[in-house]
Amino acid sequence: MVERLRKDYGTVRAVDGVSFQVRRCEIYALLGPNGAGKTSTVEILEGHRRRSGGSVRVLGFDPGTGDRHFRERVGIVLQSGGMDAELTVREMVSLFAGFYARPRDVTETIEQVGLTAKRRARVRTLSGGQARRLDLALALIGDPEVLFLDEPTTGFDPNARREAWDMIAGLRRAGTTVLLTSHYLDEVQNLADRVGVMSHGHLVEESTPDALGGRDVSGTVISFRLPRQLRGSEPPAGPWDRTAGPVGEFTMHTDEPTRVLLALTQWACAHHTELPGLTVTRPSLEDVYLRITGQAGIGAGDGR
Amino acid sequence: MAAETARRSRPPTLLAIGQVRYQLLLLLRSPLGFFLSVVFPLLLLVCLKVITPSHPVDGLPYAQWVTPAMCAFCLLNACYVTVITSMVLAREEGTLKRLRGTPLPAWAYLAGRAGSAFVTSVLACGVIIATAVAFFSVSIVWHAVGYFVGATLLGIACFFLIGAAVTTVVPKTDTALPIAFGTMLPLAFISDVFFSVSHPPVWLHDLASAFPVAPIAQAMEDSFNPATQSWPMPLSGLLVVLGWSAAAIVVIALAFRWEPGPAPAARGLRRSPGSAGRPRHRP
Repeated sequence: MVERLRKDYGTVRAVDGVSFQVRRCEIYALLGPNGAGKTSTVEILEGHRRRSGGSVRVLGFDPGTGDRHFRERVGIVLQSGGMDAELTVREMVSLFAGFYARPRDVTETIEQVGLTAKRRARVRTLSGGQARRLDLALALIGDPEVLFLDEPTTGFDPNARREAWDMIAGLRRAGTTVLLTSHYLDEVQNLADRVGVMSHGHLVEESTPDALGGRDVSGTVISFRLPRQLRGSEPPAGPWDRTAGPVGEFTMHTDEPTRVLLALTQWACAHHTELPGLTVTRPSLEDVYLRITGQAGIGAGDGR
Repeated sequence: MAAETARRSRPPTLLAIGQVRYQLLLLLRSPLGFFLSVVFPLLLLVCLKVITPSHPVDGLPYAQWVTPAMCAFCLLNACYVTVITSMVLAREEGTLKRLRGTPLPAWAYLAGRAGSAFVTSVLACGVIIATAVAFFSVSIVWHAVGYFVGATLLGIACFFLIGAAVTTVVPKTDTALPIAFGTMLPLAFISDVFFSVSHPPVWLHDLASAFPVAPIAQAMEDSFNPATQSWPMPLSGLLVVLGWSAAAIVVIALAFRWEPGPAPAARGLRRSPGSAGRPRHRP
């Protein structure tokens, strides 16, 4: 779908050689800090921006030259704005329905985004979250095969986010392909089938949210306090590294948590004791994310 | 796939008509546009009629002269000022960008804008003329009605095109109204819209006749003069009107923007003919 994509703004290279592919009916998330090039990438895919290099295909179309036939089949949720304050919700959705060859039902779409009670309200009276839901309705009204969501829940309260996630997940079940950008890790964790992490214009990693940074196995942290009976002795050697901590507290890092745990528990059982405060922690998505984007930042800096 | 062949786009005429409806609805809901296009010229007509001593202008009763002049002013407001302010607003608010992401063709949007400017102009002129006939004993010169309609249509098309072209050089919403009025009012003053300049200095006359407001306003005014027997716009005036319209079309084709923000400096469009809507471009 996207190959070696580049986008330059003057001398600044915002997107530098990004390649990825989104399968049908999947939710693909572009994750990254502000300024990583997510929005530039998505806007090129939407046809809003022209690329400086590389090739892009969306539904077989080149979005840069894609005409009405291309736009009949995609839906776009912009980061903000673009709605006529003096129209009502229903007028706005009906207006957009009129652009498409095969629109969805207006009433049904308003219902789906939960704005039925607000259908006669002027757009300017909507709250931020309601405006974003109208935004989604406008993107859905053409019954798109591919939906672009640029930071769909930025500024939502926790309830509204949950609802938006349910809605987006529902779209996937209905057979829509979704490309979303986000800087929220929990959003990606909840929604995305696959995630591409962007940093400084590069795609630095691509995987499922669970396996990002190899975090499904590597970098597990095991910690416990040394019981009184075992003071002075060392836990059995194994595939782990100990990090410094207070005396009597053990914090170990391992890529083989099962083996290390077995050794530890056998050791404790052999001495007829417990391991107080025993915890096993997988690195959070946030840790991994910070590690990946941090490394990429340093790497890009060195490259210049 | 069957599903894909079924996606035949909507008929373009339907899209354009839908856009006209949409733009008129927006205009009705925004008091400024309605005020500028209809109420303001009408107010001005009444005020000018009441405060001006009833001496004749060009051998005509004052009201007979000022009525078509106010119609010309309507056109300037509905097709030039309102088009600039509302299109810049739509661009800066992101509405144009959002529309760009739908199958709505660019020309259908512009046609919607032009259509709503046309409807507003006709409506406003109708109100002005009806008021003048009813209260100020203005009489319609029936043998010249065709000329009036022709000049009005030319004016609507020309002012709309120039307005749409000028939006390309307006950097942000705040500057739209000053630019629109700052260019339109001085031109209207020297182009016989508010009063007839009987003996202007030669340079002022030359300046006015380089712009399309004077030929259109004067043709509309002459169409209310019973002495007019033939098409009241000289060829030179017609050429000025058509030349400006053509230049505006070129600017729109080259520089019309859907994205918010100022024009990309690299394109260097600030010196293009469309921006010559500003008097300062006159040497």
